[in-house]
Amino acid sequence: MSTRPDFSACLDPRAFVRLAAVLARDPGADLFLSGAGLAGETLGLAGVRPVSELIVGPRTRTHELKEFCFSGPGPALGFLGYPFGLGLRGLAGFKTSLFPLGHLKKYAAILRHERGAHRLDLFCADPILRREIVDLLGVGPGPGPEPGLEPVHDPGGPAARPEALQQSLSREGYIRGVERVLERIRDGDVYQLNLSIRFSAARPDLDPADLFFHLLSANPARFYALFSSGPRRLVSTSPERFLRVADGRVLSQPIKGTLRFDPAEGPTRARVRELLASAKEDAELSMIVDLVRNDISNNCEYGSVRVDGHKSVFAVDNLLQMYSNVRGRLRPDRTCLDLLPDAFPGGSVTGCPKGRALELIEDLEPHCRDFYCGCFVMIMDERNMDSSVAIRTACHDADTGELCFYAGSGIVVDSDPDREYRETLAKAEKFLELTRT
Amino acid sequence: MNVLVLDNNDSFTRNLEHLLVETLAARIEVAAFADGVRRALCAAPDLIVISAGPGRPSDYPGYGPVLDSGLPVLGVCLGMQIMNEHFGGRTDRLPGCVHGRAEAIDFLGRRRVVARYHSLYLSRVAEDLEVLAANHAGVPMAVRHRTRRLLGYQFHPESFLTPDGGYFIEHAARFFGLS
Repeated sequence: MSTRPDFSACLDPRAFVRLAAVLARDPGADLFLSGAGLAGETLGLAGVRPVSELIVGPRTRTHELKEFCFSGPGPALGFLGYPFGLGLRGLAGFKTSLFPLGHLKKYAAILRHERGAHRLDLFCADPILRREIVDLLGVGPGPGPEPGLEPVHDPGGPAARPEALQQSLSREGYIRGVERVLERIRDGDVYQLNLSIRFSAARPDLDPADLFFHLLSANPARFYALFSSGPRRLVSTSPERFLRVADGRVLSQPIKGTLRFDPAEGPTRARVRELLASAKEDAELSMIVDLVRNDISNNCEYGSVRVDGHKSVFAVDNLLQMYSNVRGRLRPDRTCLDLLPDAFPGGSVTGCPKGRALELIEDLEPHCRDFYCGCFVMIMDERNMDSSVAIRTACHDADTGELCFYAGSGIVVDSDPDREYRETLAKAEKFLELTRT
Repeated sequence: MNVLVLDNNDSFTRNLEHLLVETLAARIEVAAFADGVRRALCAAPDLIVISAGPGRPSDYPGYGPVLDSGLPVLGVCLGMQIMNEHFGGRTDRLPGCVHGRAEAIDFLGRRRVVARYHSLYLSRVAEDLEVLAANHAGVPMAVRHRTRRLLGYQFHPESFLTPDGGYFIEHAARFFGLS
C-alpha cells in the first residue's frame, strides 16, 4: 500500500459498515472487519475489484506467494487452506477436494478504516473507480433496512429441514474418534489433538453477504472476513489471531480452554474463575503456548521470544475462552512469509507434537478440512501482516447451494468424550441455527 | 562451543535451540533424527542434545553410536528414555500421564519448578544410570551415567512453564566439563 492515500474522509464506524455492505454486494468486495465494541482491534479493510489473483495449488511454492505479495504496491488479502499446510510438510494427497489450497488477491481499490480515529483512507489509482467509491460516501442509508447494523431480516429464505443437515462424524463417530485419540495420547504419540466435524446443508437461497452482516452485528468477534473464491463465498467469524507482524514485531494469540456460559446470565465472574481454575484447560493452553513459541522461533531473533498475558479470558459466541500472547522479533533476514508457512497450520487447531498430530488427524477425520483451520491473511509488506485462524467459518457455494462449516475441540488426556462433543456443537451453534426451522 | 541438536520430529526443538543459544552463547545446528546421527559422529561437536519427540525409544533406532562415542550427550524427555533403553532400562506407559503441567521437584538439594510432558516413563532405570532427581511419586526426573558424560532430563527445561530453564542447561554444561 502506498503510504499516501488517494482520498481520505472522516467516517464513523456505522457508516463504514454501511459502505462495506454496499461494496460487498456490488461489486462483490472482499472484507476484513472487526466486530464493533472490541478493544484493540480497530482496523477494517475492503478490497474492491481484484487486479491480480494467485490461486494456490499443490505445486505452489512459498517463493511464489512472496513474489505475488511483495512485488507491486498494495496489500494482498486472502486465505490459505489447511491442506496447504499439509503440503508444506509433505503430507498432502490423502483426501480429494475441489477446494483451492488458497487464494490471494490484490485490488484496484483498497479502503482502510480506523475505527478509533473515524478515518477512512482510500487507495485507488484509477480515477473512475475512485469517483464511484467516493460517491457512495455521499449516499445516506436510504430507504429500507440498514445492512449490517441490526439483524433486521433472516439471512436467506426458508431454512433447511433439520434432517437435511449432514455431519461427517455422528455423535457416536466423534466419541469413538476421541477415544482413539486418548489411546494415542497414552502411547506418547501426541499430547493434544484437535478433532473436528464437517457440517453441511442445502441452502441454495442463502446470501452469504447478508449472513456476514447479520453475524457481525449479532455475534461480534475480532476477525470477520468475507471473501469470494470462484462460486464460493467464505464467511469467517473467527475470534482468534494467528500471527500479526507489525514492523517486525511478531504476535500470536492462541486460544485454548473453553467454557460455555448461559447467555441470560452472561459471562459472570464465577464462570471466569471456574475456567481459570480448571487444570485441564490450563494444560491445554500451556502446551499450545509452548508449541507456538516453537513455531515462531525459527524466524525470530534469539532471546526475543516471550509469553505475556498467559491465561487471559474473553467472551465470544456465549463461550468464555482463554488465550495467551506469544511475542518475538522477526529476524532481519526473514519476512512474514517465512514466518507464516513455518508456523502453519496454527498450533491451536492441530495438536502437539504437530507433525504426528497432522498425520493422526488425516487418519481420524473422514472429511477434508479445506479452508477450516487454515488462515485469513492481510499481507501489507515484508514485515507487516495480520492473520486469523479460520475457525467459526462457513462457506457457501452458489453453484451447488451448499452451506458448509466445521467445528472441533482439543483433546487432551483427561478429556471426556461426550463433553468434547458438546463443546464442538457449541462452537458450531451460530451456523447450526441456520439449518433449523 | 558447538552444539548439535538431534530432532526427533518434535514441536519443542526450536525452544530448546533458543534456550541453548541464550544460555551457552553456542553455535548451534539442528539436524533431523534420520541423518543427524551420522553428522554427529563426523562433526564431533562439543555437545550433542537428543530432543523430545512423539512415540517411544524403539521408534528411533540408531542412537547407539552417539551414546557410545564418548561425546557429551544431553537427552531431553524421549532423549533420556532413548539413553535409558540403550543401557538396558525400560520405558512404559505412565499411569495418569502428565502434559503441560509444572511441578516442583528436588534437584540437587533445591526445590525447582519444571515442566512435564510425558506419557511414558523410566519404569526400570538402567544399571549404568543413576537417578539424580525423582518427583514425589518416585518417577525419575533426571538421570546421569555413572562413568560417561551422559545426562538426561525427563522434564522440559525449554518450556515456558520451567521458570529457570537456563539453570538446567548450565548444570549440564558444568557436568560435562564445558564451562
